[in-house]
Amino acid sequence: MGGASAKRKKEKKKDFQKPKLKVGKAKPKAANATNTSFKAKAIALKQQSLSANAPTVEAQCAHHLGLLNHKSDTQRRDSLAYLTSVLSTHPPNVPLPQPSSVIIPTAQRLILDGSNAVRQQLLKLLQSLPRDDIAGHTDQLLLHTRAGMTHLSTEIRLFALDVLEWLLSAAGDDVVSCAGGWVKTLKCFLSLLGWKNDTSSKWSSAMSFSKSSSSDAKVQVKQMNALTLFLKTGLFPSQTWTAARGGAEHFPLWQTEHHVLSERSNTYAHLNLFGAARDEEAEMYEDREDRQRVFHDRAEASIVSGIELVIKGGGEPGRAAAQLRKTLKDGMIDYRA
Amino acid sequence: MKFRSVRAIRLGTTFTRGPAEILLVALHLRLHGNSTNNGKNKINTMKRKLGALEKVDADLTNLQYKVRRDPGSYFDDHQQQYVQYETQRDLLLQNPSTSDNTGVVRLGDLIDFLAHTADCFPKSTTQFQNDLIQIISQHHDELQPDLRDKIVSNLVLLRNKEIIDSSVLLNTLFPILVSTTSKSLRALLFQKIISDLRSSNSKATNHRLNRTIQTVLFNLLTSDRETTKGLWAVKITRELWKRQIWTDAKAVDIMKEACLSENEKVMTGGTRFFLGGDKEREEAAEEDSDSDGEIDMNKMRHQAGINKKTKKKGRELKKAAATVKRKERKKNAPHPLNFSALHLLHDPQGFAETLFTKHVQNSKSKIALESKLLVLQLVSRLVGLHKLTVISLYSYLLKHLTPRQNSVTSFLAILAQATHSLVPPDVLEPLVQKIANEFVSEASASEVAAAGLNAIREVCVRQPLAMNDTLLQDLVMYRKSKDKGVQMAARGLLSLYREVGAELLKKRDRGKDATIALRAGDSGDRRYGLEASGEIEGIDLLEQWKEEERRKKREAAGLPADAATDEEVEDEAADWKNWDVESDDSDSSQGWINVESDGEDIVLSDSDDENTDPKKPAAKKAKLSNSATRESSAATTTTNPSEPKPLSKLLTTTILTPADLKRLKELQASSAINSNLPSSKRAAFLAARHADEAITAETIEAAAAIGRKSTKEEKIAMAKGDRESGKHSSTTAIRKAKKESEGKSTTNKEKARKKNFLMTLGKAKGKNKRSLTDIKKTMKGDMERRKRGGKRGNIG
Repeated sequence: MGGASAKRKKEKKKDFQKPKLKVGKAKPKAANATNTSFKAKAIALKQQSLSANAPTVEAQCAHHLGLLNHKSDTQRRDSLAYLTSVLSTHPPNVPLPQPSSVIIPTAQRLILDGSNAVRQQLLKLLQSLPRDDIAGHTDQLLLHTRAGMTHLSTEIRLFALDVLEWLLSAAGDDVVSCAGGWVKTLKCFLSLLGWKNDTSSKWSSAMSFSKSSSSDAKVQVKQMNALTLFLKTGLFPSQTWTAARGGAEHFPLWQTEHHVLSERSNTYAHLNLFGAARDEEAEMYEDREDRQRVFHDRAEASIVSGIELVIKGGGEPGRAAAQLRKTLKDGMIDYRA
Repeated sequence: MKFRSVRAIRLGTTFTRGPAEILLVALHLRLHGNSTNNGKNKINTMKRKLGALEKVDADLTNLQYKVRRDPGSYFDDHQQQYVQYETQRDLLLQNPSTSDNTGVVRLGDLIDFLAHTADCFPKSTTQFQNDLIQIISQHHDELQPDLRDKIVSNLVLLRNKEIIDSSVLLNTLFPILVSTTSKSLRALLFQKIISDLRSSNSKATNHRLNRTIQTVLFNLLTSDRETTKGLWAVKITRELWKRQIWTDAKAVDIMKEACLSENEKVMTGGTRFFLGGDKEREEAAEEDSDSDGEIDMNKMRHQAGINKKTKKKGRELKKAAATVKRKERKKNAPHPLNFSALHLLHDPQGFAETLFTKHVQNSKSKIALESKLLVLQLVSRLVGLHKLTVISLYSYLLKHLTPRQNSVTSFLAILAQATHSLVPPDVLEPLVQKIANEFVSEASASEVAAAGLNAIREVCVRQPLAMNDTLLQDLVMYRKSKDKGVQMAARGLLSLYREVGAELLKKRDRGKDATIALRAGDSGDRRYGLEASGEIEGIDLLEQWKEEERRKKREAAGLPADAATDEEVEDEAADWKNWDVESDDSDSSQGWINVESDGEDIVLSDSDDENTDPKKPAAKKAKLSNSATRESSAATTTTNPSEPKPLSKLLTTTILTPADLKRLKELQASSAINSNLPSSKRAAFLAARHADEAITAETIEAAAAIGRKSTKEEKIAMAKGDRESGKHSSTTAIRKAKKESEGKSTTNKEKARKKNFLMTLGKAKGKNKRSLTDIKKTMKGDMERRKRGGKRGNIG
């Protein structure tokens, strides 16, 4: 094997030949160099602004509203923060850079957002919105809130209670009187607290799959507090209503408020002219008496029995339950079955 | 001590334990009040551990698994998810086009979860399926594609769980299939519909469901004849026909309606079904039987012996054995009797007439020539098969029979197909005359002339009376043509008329057989509408044989050879007793069958005057289409020419047993060899073509292709034809590749050959460097061994 052929030697040599570099000449290309150049008829730059002057606040708000769908948590949170700061620093009499009717539909989906920071920021944004604008969007907001309240994730469930509290404080009457707002929300609470409608189960409260860690008192307290507020709004006589009644200034005319056009938006919503037919759950209950009746029929018994159980347990939940019981009693005091 | 036990149970209250056990904990705590405080402290310290589980909080799959294992305990959780689903659904219905991938839980996942657990809580989720049906029916256009597909597949899942029944599912999916604009959804729905129909018909035919769906399809076609919506009815029916799920007249009725649709697409779909649906079905059945992976039982058994024995492998082996057995049984099972769509048609005459007037004759119908040809093919097929009378068809064809007409060979084929023995000859005569004038002349191209002659022959095979003597004699002269195709076609015509109407030919063209037959006055003049009386092929042979047997028996018994006795009747009764006649004397017949298969070769070699070329389909076809009855009658008439043949006595007095039929077959086979039939007839006898098969343009064109010189490309392609892959490789390489694909390795010899040269060097060197003493030793040993006679030794 000693004497390899001349041809082979040559070949071997060829493999290890060094390319000669010369000054002033282009560097020879490597054997495995890949040509990465390409030709294009046009190059489109997607995110380049050609305008020289800074964008207006309106435009920036619109941009940030668009970013609320962004896949990154921090981006969503930052956009919310920007919008919040704009809204909170806004002078009260000037129209908003973007109307609430644009902001709320885009922002409300974030109630179900997976990130806690985003949700907290969202609540701040909602709180900075002018209160009068919210009334028109309650049904949508309430839908999302209910979705949050029954969510599989405990954190979202808790957060939804915060949203509900804010919503009740901002537009309480609308919340309890919108379509499905009363019965469906009550049902939601019942399933959250594990207070069943039927008393067939012999055992007290079965520990549930998703409540394995969160059955601790704090959550229950929070839920009961929210329920208390909700019942207060729904079962107590409305403040606006009483105020209107007290006025005797239109002396010869009595009960004028029944004859003038209502100030609420969408006055004829209860007629449900265009939507799908509603069942008992989805119906609107605009009168306090109606709400009391439905509450008595569908929820009162189970809530009362639930309260008693919790009160027996004592502690902080027991106190919250006592509060709830008081509210319930006061609200239903003038109800005649 | 108490505290410890509490802790232990508390630890157990993670996901893996059901709520029932947790109740026990509660009881425990209540019973031992003094320990509760300790327990609580412990819970607080446990918090961190449980925190990790928070992550799987939103895990629907996990919950699904739990619910399915223990529905009762997880009812509350399920209910909560149901409420969540309801709110999400309400959100979706506010704006159906929104994507649902916001947040942690998607509506799609919830739907999945609820569908999978729907059978656990049938009472509380009754609204669920209705919701899905409503959403998909009302909003399928707006929904996001993935959510839409998910709803569809979950509906199918609910059907598989038998929560909704097939008719509900199909009645939901079908309207969407017809109305949606999305291609992918259509594909999905089509697949789901077909598979559902398949599965509901898998165990037994679900007549009720089939009837409902067929009615829906039928109504779809009849309610709206203008749009392409009916195409789905056609597609579904064709697919189910192909899979042999629908084989009844109702399916054919649907297709019939499709053929009568105003829309061209639907109409062609229907026509194509009638022209090719049965063939497709046959092919699918064949594929089904010989595909689906052959299992090598021996290999599996061998492997089971070698590999580790596990329960799973044992099960697999058993399963494979069962599959093989089932397949075997299936192979042996009798072929399912399926009627062709054309035979299942109700009122073919009316159908053919309507088709023809509606799509072809109607001046308002603006369909393309291609579709028109399809319709004509179907009409002519119906006419030929059912022997219908659509006189206006022939006058229509007369217009189109010119060489300049587009795809004229198809028209010629249509004419031939529409001809049968009940078409009046005076209707056909002008057509034949026109073909002769337009196509067959010295001036026209050879292909044209060959096609024309071939078409004339195909027409005359079916109705020999359409020809007159002057024209025939003129056409027969073309056998002297220089072009081979024309030659062959003319010869075909000649040999046809030697059989069916020799008197029309000139004397010297008639040939020996025909002349003898003519002289004997046997050739029986053919008249329009005269039908040959029906008889069983070779029945006379059987009769003869029976007679002989009887005579032999009687001779053996010493009785006079005639005169029937009671014995004979008993004999026949005995015949019925031994129904299965495999045993008696099949060995003796075996030899005859072998001889017959040799006879095929003789056919090709001794044909002299006509048809010397073995590959000329055109000439062969003529024989094929001659009905076999004619041959058998010809065969017998040559043996005893003078007397007019009476109907066989055997045929009118007895019922043939299977034994008789078997004997009959044997006799026929032997007589086919023994008789001095013309060789061409024998060929026809062997390859008798099914009467249902269609004539296509290719049949007509075939003759023209014979003489034509092929181009270089065609020659190359032909030479390459038998090789599958384009690449050339040596026989060894092919063999090796084959071996490799079978999973076999190389032989030792090959391995040795392949071995690296350097590795073999040492051994070679060792042999060379042996010392002289070593060599001597080995040689001595060798000598001794040889003396002994090998290593083992054969002495002592």
